[in-house]
Amino acid sequence: MNTFLSALFSGFANGAVYSLVALGLVIVWRGAGIVNFAQMGQAMFSTYIASTMIISGYSYWFGFIVAILAGAVLGAFLDILVMRPLSHKKRGELLNSETMRAAVPVIASLGILGVLQSMAGIIWVAEERGFPAPFKQEGFTVGGTVMPFTSFDVFVVSVVFIALATTTIFFKKTGMGLAMRATALNQEVAKLSGIRTNHARTLSWAISGAASSLAGLLITPSSNLSPNTLDLALIVGFTAAVVGGLNSPIGAVLGGFIVGLLISFVTFYLSPEDVFISILALLIFVLIVKPRGILSGKDSRRV
Amino acid sequence: MLKVENLVTRFGSVVALDGISMAAAESKITTVIGANGAGKSTLLRTISGLEHATSGTITWQGESIIGLRPEEIVRRGIAHVPEGHAVIAELTVEENIQMGSLFRRRKFSSDVAAAMDEMYQLFPRLQERRKQLAGTLSGGERQMLAISRALVSRPKLLLLDEPSLGLAPLVVEQIIDTINSLCRTTGLTVLLVEQNANTALGVADHGILLALGKVVADRPAAELKADATLRAAYLGY
Repeated sequence: MNTFLSALFSGFANGAVYSLVALGLVIVWRGAGIVNFAQMGQAMFSTYIASTMIISGYSYWFGFIVAILAGAVLGAFLDILVMRPLSHKKRGELLNSETMRAAVPVIASLGILGVLQSMAGIIWVAEERGFPAPFKQEGFTVGGTVMPFTSFDVFVVSVVFIALATTTIFFKKTGMGLAMRATALNQEVAKLSGIRTNHARTLSWAISGAASSLAGLLITPSSNLSPNTLDLALIVGFTAAVVGGLNSPIGAVLGGFIVGLLISFVTFYLSPEDVFISILALLIFVLIVKPRGILSGKDSRRV
Repeated sequence: MLKVENLVTRFGSVVALDGISMAAAESKITTVIGANGAGKSTLLRTISGLEHATSGTITWQGESIIGLRPEEIVRRGIAHVPEGHAVIAELTVEENIQMGSLFRRRKFSSDVAAAMDEMYQLFPRLQERRKQLAGTLSGGERQMLAISRALVSRPKLLLLDEPSLGLAPLVVEQIIDTINSLCRTTGLTVLLVEQNANTALGVADHGILLALGKVVADRPAAELKADATLRAAYLGY
């Protein structure tokens, strides 16, 4: 019973941060039609910025906010400097085929990831450092046993739900959200409707950058900070996003919790070594059984 | 008035528009007819900024609009309904219409809701289906939605590409009638591209016949309709 509760709590806490990672991926996918593999590189970079600020004496919350803003600015810059030029049709024959137009940005995002990791290595000497949590990392006690669920985890879960509610309302209820969805779904019709699609894409990169920086800040306290710390989080977050259908913020969060619980139950009942294989199995299972994710029921595609 | 002079649009080595000069008179319906591949759609797409002109000029209300992005051209009062019932299937009917008025939110905030209501009056079927996804609509309804999305921006010039494509004759008639009455009552300028020359010339004031990217005839619609030689040579009936 206690093992079960422990697995449940720990899975819930981990799932929350993976939800945020998945949410960041979904936002860029919805807003710009790209799976951004550089995302956790961006998050790592802004977490390093927060860490540097905290080490030089600023308060945790100051570093926290600066990192989120830095994440948004970095996201916007990457779009303007790398992705926007790549999407120009005039750039050459290479981009004339639909497949290449879809593949090139993804490969570019892998390139960006490499550059960000090397730059972090150069600037911060690739040293592993700790990163503080703003709340106590002591578990709550249930019936005399200490559960792997801390005040920090409560904070993380609340942050995730606030982020989910904000993005859902933003996408569904605001004009800018509609402009971003339209841009992702059909650029030509969006442009003809007067939507400045370049701005919409940049904005989705900025929002996603902020969300993933938030994820970075919340993940690193439980590990250490190094240029490669967040690679695993990207893989897990990507699986979560695919489980959720890549298209829906709610799906992303659900997917995050599913993957978090899976990891935790595998760790507690089987062994930590089986975690990767179980994530992979989940990914393949979802791709075969529900290739558009668990929330894809009422989806309608163009014929 | 829209004025196009010596317009050339190339796709690689293919010349789609080969020195086109034409005009669309204010508050009139001008139709561009011609066989498949004559360059009709490319002409509209170059005017609305979707394709880049290789050379030539496009002047709208005395101002050059060549080289502007589509999203800026809409702001100058030119709305384009591209071929193939261009709506976004994954958005609701209401969102599709709303999309066309997003850029007017700030400057004309009081008029945005009124413009949407007018669209529902124009096509009551869209109001019934306003919460449905556009992908669930019939072909005719999609075309109505695509036209509403363009009209809600309150354009002065409407570029309409093959509205009859794949639709039942009765629906085509309804759509053409709506456009015609809009032109006559509100003074909307219409540039209508059609493969169905008879329908188009029946409603238009002026007709332009394209063949292989060139203008072969530019005359009042009635005259063009009556010219059996031209019809036989270029339209094949």
